[in-house]
Amino acid sequence: MKETLDKIKKEFIKGLDEVKEVLQLEELEQKFFSRKSGEMTEVMKSLKKLSGDAKKEFGKLANEVKKELEGLYLKKKKDIEQSKMGDLADTEWIDVTEPKLPKKEVGHLHPNTIVQNELEDLFISMGFKVLDGPELESDYYNFEALNIPPSHPARDSQDTFYIKNNKDWVMRTHTSPMQVRALQKYGAPLRAVVPGRCFRNEATDGSHDHTFYQLEGIVIDRDISISNLIAVMKELLQGVLKREVEIRLRPGYFPFVEPGFELDMRCLVCEGQGCGACKHSGWVETLPCGLVHPKVLEYGGLDPKEWSGFAFGLGMTRLAMQKYKIEDIRHLNSGDLRFLKQF
Amino acid sequence: MLLSYNWIKQYVDLPDSLTPEELGLKLTMSTVEVEGVEKQGKDLENIVVGIVKKVEKHPDADKLQLCRVYDGTEDFQVVCGGSNVVKDMKVAFGKIGAKVKWHGEGDLIELKKAKIRGEESFGMICASAEIGLGDMFPLEGEKEILDLSSFEAKAGISVADALGLNDVTIDIDNKSMTHRPDLWGHYGMSREVAVLYNKKLSSYDPADIKPGKELKIKVEVKDTKLCPRYMAVAIDGIKIEPSPEWMQELLLAVGLKSINNIVDITNYILFDLGQPMHAFDKRNLSGDKIIVRPAEDGEIFSTLDEKEHKLSVDDLVIADGEKAVALAGVMGGFNSEVKDDTTTIIFESANFDALNTRRTATRLGVRTDSSTRFEKSLDPNNCELALRRAVELTLELCPNAKVVSEVVDVSNFTLNQGPIELSLEFVNKKIGVKLEKKEVIKILESLGFGVKDKKDVLFVTVPTWRATKDISIAEDLIEEVARIYGYGNIETVLPTFPITPPERNELKTLEKKIKDVLSLEFGFSEVYNYSFISPKWLEITGMDKEDFIELDNPIAKDRPYLRRGLWPNLLENVEKNLHNFDSVKIFEVGQVFDKLNPGQRTADNSDELLPRQDLMLGIVFAGKGTDKPFYELSSAIAGILDHFNCQYEFRQKSDQKGDFIHHGRASEIVVGAETVGGVGEINPVFLNKVGIGERVAVLEISLNKLVEQVTEKNNYQKLSVYPAVERDVAFLVDKKVSNAEIIDKLKKVDDLVKGVELFDVYDGKNIDDDKKSLAYRITYRSDEKTLESGEVDKVHGRLVKLLEKEFNVEIR
Repeated sequence: MKETLDKIKKEFIKGLDEVKEVLQLEELEQKFFSRKSGEMTEVMKSLKKLSGDAKKEFGKLANEVKKELEGLYLKKKKDIEQSKMGDLADTEWIDVTEPKLPKKEVGHLHPNTIVQNELEDLFISMGFKVLDGPELESDYYNFEALNIPPSHPARDSQDTFYIKNNKDWVMRTHTSPMQVRALQKYGAPLRAVVPGRCFRNEATDGSHDHTFYQLEGIVIDRDISISNLIAVMKELLQGVLKREVEIRLRPGYFPFVEPGFELDMRCLVCEGQGCGACKHSGWVETLPCGLVHPKVLEYGGLDPKEWSGFAFGLGMTRLAMQKYKIEDIRHLNSGDLRFLKQF
Repeated sequence: MLLSYNWIKQYVDLPDSLTPEELGLKLTMSTVEVEGVEKQGKDLENIVVGIVKKVEKHPDADKLQLCRVYDGTEDFQVVCGGSNVVKDMKVAFGKIGAKVKWHGEGDLIELKKAKIRGEESFGMICASAEIGLGDMFPLEGEKEILDLSSFEAKAGISVADALGLNDVTIDIDNKSMTHRPDLWGHYGMSREVAVLYNKKLSSYDPADIKPGKELKIKVEVKDTKLCPRYMAVAIDGIKIEPSPEWMQELLLAVGLKSINNIVDITNYILFDLGQPMHAFDKRNLSGDKIIVRPAEDGEIFSTLDEKEHKLSVDDLVIADGEKAVALAGVMGGFNSEVKDDTTTIIFESANFDALNTRRTATRLGVRTDSSTRFEKSLDPNNCELALRRAVELTLELCPNAKVVSEVVDVSNFTLNQGPIELSLEFVNKKIGVKLEKKEVIKILESLGFGVKDKKDVLFVTVPTWRATKDISIAEDLIEEVARIYGYGNIETVLPTFPITPPERNELKTLEKKIKDVLSLEFGFSEVYNYSFISPKWLEITGMDKEDFIELDNPIAKDRPYLRRGLWPNLLENVEKNLHNFDSVKIFEVGQVFDKLNPGQRTADNSDELLPRQDLMLGIVFAGKGTDKPFYELSSAIAGILDHFNCQYEFRQKSDQKGDFIHHGRASEIVVGAETVGGVGEINPVFLNKVGIGERVAVLEISLNKLVEQVTEKNNYQKLSVYPAVERDVAFLVDKKVSNAEIIDKLKKVDDLVKGVELFDVYDGKNIDDDKKSLAYRITYRSDEKTLESGEVDKVHGRLVKLLEKEFNVEIR
């Protein structure tokens, strides 16, 4: 029995050495391990006939040999496979400049959405709530609560879209109505921004549209000063533009702030040397802002003696146009995919 | 408004080293926005007074002349197309090297020697608009050249010198001073300039009027609210003449053409003090009474510019005993204007209500320099100063003139001049600086405020010219102090805030996520459309106008309605884009306006509610060769909803009517218990009507409704340790049996059924028209053990039987 096993082992190993490919290996495997007539299988079968110590002794030996041969077989199999894979890498080749076909259609976000998303993320990171409000507003929130009395020119019908049969309803002319809505809802302290669509009854041309987007910001706390406002505005613009900026404040009149400012930024195109983009002044009018008017705080339900704050309005449409150098505002609402697929 | 630098220098002694540009910048930084500073006649180099010595026809062109022009030293041949050129005329001669605008348009072009139709031309005889003088000398006829014959200048003198153009104009953005009635004249602006440069302001103190007795004038003001002050005085012995050069030059600088001495005086004072005035020809006033009264409804009135207006009771007029003679605060009447032979005038110097003046001017479409000022709420005290100055100037310019009446003054006004209490602590807290009290006092006093220092608090009295509406509270004073101190001098400090994270806006988060999934995963592009839709679309789609909110003053007559849904404009996008693309996959997120349902409050204490304004998602698909675009959209929205923790289903809408939505391809989208929107194909009949050649599907859901159904996922299905077994089943079934019904039934066959998925649909060749072939993959698994194939066979057998029994299928 032992000799038989030694012989099988020797033959198997010899056979294995001669094997060059999978087919030969399979033949060898069949010869020794085939269920019906494999040489090793036969040995295993013959074990049944033995008894007592002989069975124990040879059984153990036979199993050891079987295991060893199986191990050698598997190793050889792996070796053959490996060498074959190695070949693949040397023989195969593709054109890496070809796309996958058919091409998957990719969608695009509107440029204003891209800018708005960036701004919202920035403000959220600075602790601001992001709010939205109705585009069809009441005269009360759009004007009255913002300290815009009936005598103010902003109420003239050439600027405002009014609603038929309801003289107290308007299409909001700015996002500022949400200042008072937010104060009434959340009280103080408050940090919030309101991005949104606004409407002005203006003739449309390349740089004016009756529909545009603003982002309103409001900060209410105790002891907010002009000094704070300038500092925050600078941080904010640096966050938006991802670079160092220089700003200046000058007087600007808006009924819902006192004092009110126009904030200019040193022209980024010419670094302040003067160019077409800044009308050769070196400065670009960037955003209106100011300390929230005490009357607005009162409309919002706050005591102006206790609370103060500042507000600002960012022209999002303008920002998007600057960012992408869009020359005609009318593209934005055209629905033209030739334009939209570029973003 | 244009400011004349020379005019300002009359009131403030500005250093020679100061340039008008520097002054402009200073004003911008501290007071009002300066839009430009321009030297008069800056483009007039090489343009001189020339005398036309000879005019001949051009031999080769009917409409051209050959002129010889003398420039003081020599003659030049110039080809000229001017219709009014004649011999001996003084003209603006643009020499070689001069810069002109052809026909007054485009950029400046340098003149070169030229040959025009074979004739040499050494320069050009210019029209006013070609050398930037169009405003000063408006064209009266086409192809007219500028005639300078009335000027004394000799040939060769530069045109700038001949016209006395040595001023610099500073252009102020009117919008930046709507709240500053005091700045609408040179004196008020000079006061500001004096403060900015720490200079003395000349006083404005014209001589008192010595009244006469020859004429009686009475003034009756019917509405003292609309006319808080009315002053009038009569002057006789007037001789209408051109006004003196100095006055003409100042008026020219601010863009006004000289008319005659009296009219020029009123215009001069308008730009000097900012107080509009008017002069009536006494001959045309009947009786001795001036009445300030509301117009009669339908009263017809012709203004100075000879335009006829139909007035209403809301308009205020100045009238004599018989008729209206002026539209109060807006414009005088044609019937009583000063003429060449006028000898007796009545000056009006009055104050009119801001709002009412603006309403009248706006309604009648006559915005004038006068109404623009009254609508800023002028200081009624200026009426008297203006009248004194006007009389002083009149007596100066007309040596024979004499005041022949009392000065009538009907006055009913009070101004709130404070005092306003202002503490130093408040000033420093608001600005964020540490100012000394004396510095604050100095700034306020320099601006004309009265300051009483009472220990901790300053009592600040507002000057009359700032008291009409501009300054009434302490915050207004903060602005005054801060802007004169200089915004650039404020040291900036970031505020400190607690690090509380902001409350999340769930609707925004949902919107953002949906946009990302639609664009990145499903390849849809985002469009923005206007919020308005046209009646034409309502008509085509058969919708009722009554259900829509309408604009009262639409910009374009064809779009006066507010959208109730996004799809009408999206369909227009499809139609346009199909000209350039084979497939159109677009979406929009935007507010819509629901007339029939209430939304937010119109005020915090009001019961009135605005219309509901949901944020909607609209998606449209159209593609060449896609015959069932419905599935593109239903699978896209399913893909979106799978991202959120919510149950949803598509519920067939079988009650579709009309020719807009496809009757057999429409579904409601039900999420949780709420119908959040719908998806369906457009009826081919409709597509044909609007000229769209491809099948189109639209989807619309309310994000406000959806956000209520969405929650954050907070658990997962534990992984099973036992293997699953899959079996497929394919069968023929009636076309109208729905996938949802089948899945629903099959899932209930046994607990071992863990998944049912449709993987093939076929309804083409070799299948009856009313049948379809479906194939499902069923996943079986036990949570307790490894299933044996016999167990699976048993359950699968029951499942097949159920299909046959419930849906009458034919297993394939």
